[in-house]
Formats: sequence, C-alpha cells, structure tokens
Amino acid sequence: MTKGDKLLIVFVIILSFLSMGYINKQAFSNDSKYVSVQVNGKEVKKIIFDKKIIGTTIPLKTEYGYNLIEIGDEKVRVIEADCPDKIDVKQGYISRIGETIVCLPNKMVIEIKGLEEDTEIDIMNH
Amino acid sequence: MKRLNKMIFISLLVAIGLALSVLESAIPLPIAIPGAKLGLSNMVILVTLVVFGFKDGIIVSMLKSVLLMLITGSVSSFIYSISGAIFSCIVMFIAYKYLSNVFSLIGVSILGALAHNTAQVSVASFMLHNLKIYAYLPFLMLVSLFTGYFVGLASIYIVKNLKTNYKMLFYK
Repeated sequence: MTKGDKLLIVFVIILSFLSMGYINKQAFSNDSKYVSVQVNGKEVKKIIFDKKIIGTTIPLKTEYGYNLIEIGDEKVRVIEADCPDKIDVKQGYISRIGETIVCLPNKMVIEIKGLEEDTEIDIMNH
Repeated sequence: MKRLNKMIFISLLVAIGLALSVLESAIPLPIAIPGAKLGLSNMVILVTLVVFGFKDGIIVSMLKSVLLMLITGSVSSFIYSISGAIFSCIVMFIAYKYLSNVFSLIGVSILGALAHNTAQVSVASFMLHNLKIYAYLPFLMLVSLFTGYFVGLASIYIVKNLKTNYKMLFYK
C-alpha cells in the first residue's frame, strides 16, 4: 500500500461524506411540491410553498359554497367552511405529496402534488 | 502453441470470474444498498489486465458479463454489468499503466470499483429517466472503498504467484 493509495482512500471518504451532506440538504428542502385547489374537477388555484406566505389565509368562494384555506409551514388546512358536516375542517393539516382534503358538499378538493412528473415505472427488478 | 496456451488460460480466467460472480450473489451483505456487491470477479479482470494486458482484460470482462446474463437470465442487470465492466476496465488499465508509481494494485482496484459504480449509476439514471439515482453514489463509493481494498490486496498475491509460475509460458 503506497502513499498514493492512502491519499486516494482519504480523498474518496471526504468526497462521499461531503456529497452525502449535500444530498441530505437537498432532500429536505421541499421546494418540489405545491398545493392544488380544485373545484368541480378544475384546478382553480396553485400555491407553491414559501416561507413568506406562512399563515396567510385564502378565502375560496364559489357557486357551491365557501371555504377558508390556511397555508402553514409546508402544510395546508381548511379552517372555515359553510358545509354542514365540516369534515374538511376536522381533518387538519396535510403535508405529504398525494394527500387530499375533500369537501364534498362544496365540490372542493385540496391536493398536494409533486412538481416533477412521476416516472411510469412501478417496480424495477434486477 | 503459445497462442493456444494463452487462449486456454483466458477461458479459465473467464470461468473463474463467472464462478466468483455466481458465488458472491449467494453471500449476503450487512448493508442493504441496491447495487452494492463484493465485486469478487473484479479480481479476475484486474489480474488479467496486469498479466496479459488491456485487450485480453476487455475480452474477459465482456465475456464474463455476457455469460453471466445467460446464467442468471436477467437482461437489465446485464446492461448495468457490461457498462460498469468496460468502464472500470479502461480506468484500471490507465491507472495501472501510467500511475503505477503512485498507486499499488490496491489503488488501481479502488479506482476500478469507483468507475464501475459511476458507470452503473449513470446507466441506471439514464434508463429510469431519474437523476435522483445519483444520491446512491456516495454510499456506493464508501462500500466500494472496502471491497476495492480487499480485491486489490488479493490481486497483489495472485499476480505475484502467477508471474513467477507462468513466466516461462508467457514471457519467452
């Protein structure tokens, strides 16, 4: 084992740990998802999460009813609704891609979507 | 006669590489990273590169990949395997020929393992249309440090004995 070998090993260890740290940082910055608000099947609002809009409320008044949506830190919930059962209010926050809040009487769906298109491969076997 | 000797010897090396590849798939690894393996057959390719040269090294690595596909029957792993084998063969040869005063066979083997991983991850990200596969690369690099080190260590002893025993055959 020569000096060059040892240098190579140390260099590779440092490089891989640095890139691991970089990847972890990238993975936890959730700028790749957004809130999609749909009424009667059509997307009426698209909100991308941002630090500046934490706590803002968005009133949504349509021909079917009224909902008040609040944006949190990478999460979203409904705080007011004029529907009779208030299931959407009781559900609380949603934050992960694919989660939905549905208010059937008002025909409203709030969904968190990923910005990137999903690949069509379900499973890879090798 | 000399050519026949060499041919038989290379086919023996391919057979050893195949046996090692089949054997290593039966050895469980303590870490669950897809794509991480011991790379025992890399030993054979490294030895071929050192004893016989670049051309025969490439031939052995390609034959090994093709025959391994016929044995295991999985085409997708063949694409990963052959791209990694060819790229690591080229890198190992360059490292052995031009940097052998800097690196011993251990360094050459580690460089080959790194090249193998890089090629595999690149091909995987190309095939899945997903750049995020590159997130595996640092983990694979750490694993390949260990496997590359031991493969290089073993190759040093093999090459030493091969060169003394078969000098008459190949270096007349």
